[in-house]
Amino acid sequence: MNTQEITLNMGPQHPSTHGVFRLILKLDGEVATGGTSVIGYLHRGLEKLAESRTYPQFIPYTDRLDYLASMSNNLAYVQAVEKLMGIEVPERAEYIRVIFAELQRIASHMIGVGTFVMDLGAVTAVFYPFIHREKVIDLFSMTCGGRLTYNYMRIGGVSHDLPWGFVPRLYYFLDYMRTAIDEYHQLVTGNEIFLSRTKGVGIITPEDARSYGLSGPNLRGSGVRYDVRRAFPYGIYDRFEFNVPWGETGDCFDRYMVRVQEMEESVRIIEQAVRDMPEGPVMAANVPKVIKPPAGEVYHSTENPKGELGFYIVSDGSTKPYRIHIRRPSFVNLAVLDKAIIGWKVADVIAILTSLDFVLGEVDG
Amino acid sequence: MSFITNAWNFCWDLGVRLFWWGLDLVKFLLDFADNIFLFVAGTVRFVLNWAVTWLGMGEFGNVLVEIAMVVVYLAGILGVIMVSAVVLILAERKIAGFIQLRPGPNRVGPWGMLQTVADVLKLLSKEDIIPRGADRFIFRLAPVLILVPTILAFAVVPFGRGMIAADLNIGIFYLVAVTSLATIPFLIGGWSSNNKYSLLGGMRAVAQMVSYEVPMVFSLLGVVMIVGSLQMSAIVEAQSRVWFVFLQPLAFLIYIIAATAELNRVPFDIPEGESELVAGVYTEYTGMKWALFFLAEYGNLVLVSAVATTLFLGGWHGPLLPGWFWFAAKTSVLIFFFMWIRWTFPRVRVDQLMNLGWKCLVPLSLANIFVTGIGVYLYKSLGW
Amino acid sequence: MYGAGLLKGLAVTLKNLFKKKITEQYPDERPFLDHRWRGMFRLESEACICCGMCVNACPNKAITLEAGKGESNKRVLLRYEINYERCLVCGLCVEACPQNCLRFTREFEKATYHREDVLLDLVKNPNLDAPVSKYADKTTLGEGEA
Repeated sequence: MNTQEITLNMGPQHPSTHGVFRLILKLDGEVATGGTSVIGYLHRGLEKLAESRTYPQFIPYTDRLDYLASMSNNLAYVQAVEKLMGIEVPERAEYIRVIFAELQRIASHMIGVGTFVMDLGAVTAVFYPFIHREKVIDLFSMTCGGRLTYNYMRIGGVSHDLPWGFVPRLYYFLDYMRTAIDEYHQLVTGNEIFLSRTKGVGIITPEDARSYGLSGPNLRGSGVRYDVRRAFPYGIYDRFEFNVPWGETGDCFDRYMVRVQEMEESVRIIEQAVRDMPEGPVMAANVPKVIKPPAGEVYHSTENPKGELGFYIVSDGSTKPYRIHIRRPSFVNLAVLDKAIIGWKVADVIAILTSLDFVLGEVDG
Repeated sequence: MSFITNAWNFCWDLGVRLFWWGLDLVKFLLDFADNIFLFVAGTVRFVLNWAVTWLGMGEFGNVLVEIAMVVVYLAGILGVIMVSAVVLILAERKIAGFIQLRPGPNRVGPWGMLQTVADVLKLLSKEDIIPRGADRFIFRLAPVLILVPTILAFAVVPFGRGMIAADLNIGIFYLVAVTSLATIPFLIGGWSSNNKYSLLGGMRAVAQMVSYEVPMVFSLLGVVMIVGSLQMSAIVEAQSRVWFVFLQPLAFLIYIIAATAELNRVPFDIPEGESELVAGVYTEYTGMKWALFFLAEYGNLVLVSAVATTLFLGGWHGPLLPGWFWFAAKTSVLIFFFMWIRWTFPRVRVDQLMNLGWKCLVPLSLANIFVTGIGVYLYKSLGW
Repeated sequence: MYGAGLLKGLAVTLKNLFKKKITEQYPDERPFLDHRWRGMFRLESEACICCGMCVNACPNKAITLEAGKGESNKRVLLRYEINYERCLVCGLCVEACPQNCLRFTREFEKATYHREDVLLDLVKNPNLDAPVSKYADKTTLGEGEA
């Protein structure tokens, strides 16, 4: 008697592919024998749009790349242009940038961790991180008026100084964050059902991780200790003391734990930054009104919550870039999916997919 | 002087008498409340008997009365199921909301009490879609069939003192036989939808429900061995001094776990696995058909909690208040427990589910039977 | 004990069952919008000098401005439209305005019933009644104040 493989289409509309993502699975009973990812449902042509926008005008578009981590996208682009033009950013602006980038890391990992546990079946576990994320978004909206797309960083600094009442609220949030993470550990990390669903599932070996170009918590979960903030420090990250968490095995549980531990490390960084932040201007004084970088090219990468976000900017000396290419971490991370799901059951396919924590805005650009 | 003492004695005497009369009155009222449903059923039977003798039907008339009483009991059970489904749908959403730090439905009616009415009206008005290529007859049959085992099983559940629709002397045996019929509608619903998601869900449902029948039945066997009879009312009688949950804690735990798997609820809701298979078996069902599936799920929830209450938590025994009130209270506590588990735990994977069922629960329930057997033998031979 | 993690999880959910709900009962309770909120637009037409900085700053070319000559040869604003369908609500126009006459308001209920109403004609409906947002406020935002 013959058995046959079935092709199951987890189409663009599915409760747990995060965004419009299509996965064509080949199943042998319950076991996945192969898969093809189909992307492009959210392609908006941002890289082409960049060729007809001036450098400051492109900043709102970088918000919409990984829409769950807008501050970090802004930061990467703005630092790339500053590198090209050789602009020095004032101290206070650097500290503010670090605070906001780390707050954004906490907010983005909240969603990553919450949706991961939700896709395993525990729906309650996604509500609590969203409650914590509301507090971060309140801090952001206090400063720049937006809740999801911030358009906050500018070439040469940031657009607004911290509002009155920001720092006490930030301290309150940091204390609250510690109890929140503890409660989450109690609810999820010790849970035997959760452990049996994620331990040993979807193992990505360090060699595979390196050859596929993974970055961020996915890479560190597999044991490769590479963090852009340590390897190629940007801004003032070399002044802060923080650990870079990493996992031993490279299974879904390790990627989850790396994200939760990164949140705790971000809290440490924010505390140090607030303590050491000086007074001063938040925008560099010598930034020209019309941004015209010299002809040339630059590549700058930062540690986004999802991985290593890189901007490659080619300038021809005019006010509009000649070409911007964005090295999008979710796009590169997604490539490993077709290999990582082979041999696992349907339920594990979902777990692996969500543990890679990709955002379709970034995958399609 | 003696007038005052006489008056005082008279008042004291009167007070004492009133006190005892009052107690008697309270006892009478409680007794009446305890038997109120029996009273109503008795009245209906009396009226029917009188009508039959007035019409002069003789032996055939008695048979007719019996059939009519069955219809009355059926109406009662259906009433219980419908009312509890209506209440439970709202309770589930409210409890889910409270656990997730939000209020749940609170716009439609005070505290959202009319939400289920709104839901039912919405579902009644939805378009009834049958996918092309689906097996039409079986597709329509599945939601109808799924309610049948539930209603049949309620016939042997003792709701209160003397309130069983049919006090069969093979009570538990009948219950187990009927509830295993619940597997079939999932299978035929999944197959007939002509949809790979439904097929996967249906196959998993059958595997899951069949595997968890075994530990469920074995855990009930321990209780039967202690009581010595399969009759439901006898089992409740035997718990008048101590509830069986204290004598058989392991069996209770196994029964709860196996029952969660039978109900297809988290952590065992793989057939419906929302994040994996869109909606599993229920993907292609719309409108009232889908509503029937959910009605059956909540009906089964009440059934499983009622059976657990009867067998482990002492049935309708309880001080002072009427028996059916204690039964309802204990069942509600168990239902809350099921909902609490649903909103906390993630889902187990299919092979882990099978592992748990066959390699863990079955040996444990067999060990439980073994230990219970030894215990019963010792109890009898030592003459405790 | 195997199962300790499960029981701890149950304890967390039970504790949260009795905590205060955090839902904001909209529309009975309105959310608090921050002082620098980016919402709808408001324009003080008399203060506008028709420099066109906002038109140049907009990434999506959502603003249309038409100026004419008034008395004493000063420029007068004839037409000012923001196509809200194309607006990214990024705030670059508000930051660019030198006179601080184009500002944001602290509103968020922006849905309209008709497609034509999405195109904001700020000369006819300058929206001066809504609470003003302090985004890019050049008068106060020098001192690090809200």
